[in-house]
Amino acid sequence: MTELWYFYLFFAAVIIFAGLFGLLTRRNLIRLFIAFEVVSKGVSLILVSTGLVKDHILTAQALAITYIVIEVSLVATALAIIINIQRRTGKLDIRLLTKLKG
Amino acid sequence: MIIQTALLIALVVFLALALLLRDLLKAAVALAVASIMLGIIFFRMGAPYAGVFEISVVAGLITVLFILTIALTKPGEDVKESKLADIVFPLFFIAFIIIDALVMKGLMRKIPAVPGSPEGAAFGDVLWKGRTLDLIGQIAVIFAGVFSVLALLRKRNKHD
Repeated sequence: MTELWYFYLFFAAVIIFAGLFGLLTRRNLIRLFIAFEVVSKGVSLILVSTGLVKDHILTAQALAITYIVIEVSLVATALAIIINIQRRTGKLDIRLLTKLKG
Repeated sequence: MIIQTALLIALVVFLALALLLRDLLKAAVALAVASIMLGIIFFRMGAPYAGVFEISVVAGLITVLFILTIALTKPGEDVKESKLADIVFPLFFIAFIIIDALVMKGLMRKIPAVPGSPEGAAFGDVLWKGRTLDLIGQIAVIFAGVFSVLALLRKRNKHD
């Protein structure tokens, strides 16, 4: 069973790494959010695969569904904020959002 | 197992495409295709409910939200991305895959096996009886999301 778990976690780690790299290097706000979505795909894969290996697939599914609902709510809110930022600044560049300098 | 491996490789490829494609619309579509792949993987892992949610909500609803945002923010789209990141990404990606293949197995042996309590017979039992608090939390999160979107996208008064 550990082999199967290793197999899924290997791919999940690759996906999360790609997403984190995107989060660190991208400047467009929508692209940053796509990178966040990539990370969340890896997290979902870890949740369900761990449930499969530990014989708790039903609980893992329930948690995955909760995670998806939270993800949707977060995406809707964040995209509304992105639209507002674009309306105010005319751009989607993360580097323009450095006005909160204290 | 071969089909599952092919699906996982396709998932990684489409997610990498979502990060690398220059056109935002194509990136959003690549993300949707990756979600469909993940949904199929969930189905094959014996998690049909998670698969249905992944395909209908993530591949459907979130893609629509992304495309809507891309359409609404068209004039501000021309952000100059770092060219160095595009060059470095494949190198780091391959390096990470090699490190992952070498290190992950050793790390996994150190994770202690925690015994869990047995599950209920049906998914409904687990969701409605075992995870009731999660459902209340989900309702709260949905309401919070709806109200925040309404507050953020409301029409401004003349007095504002």
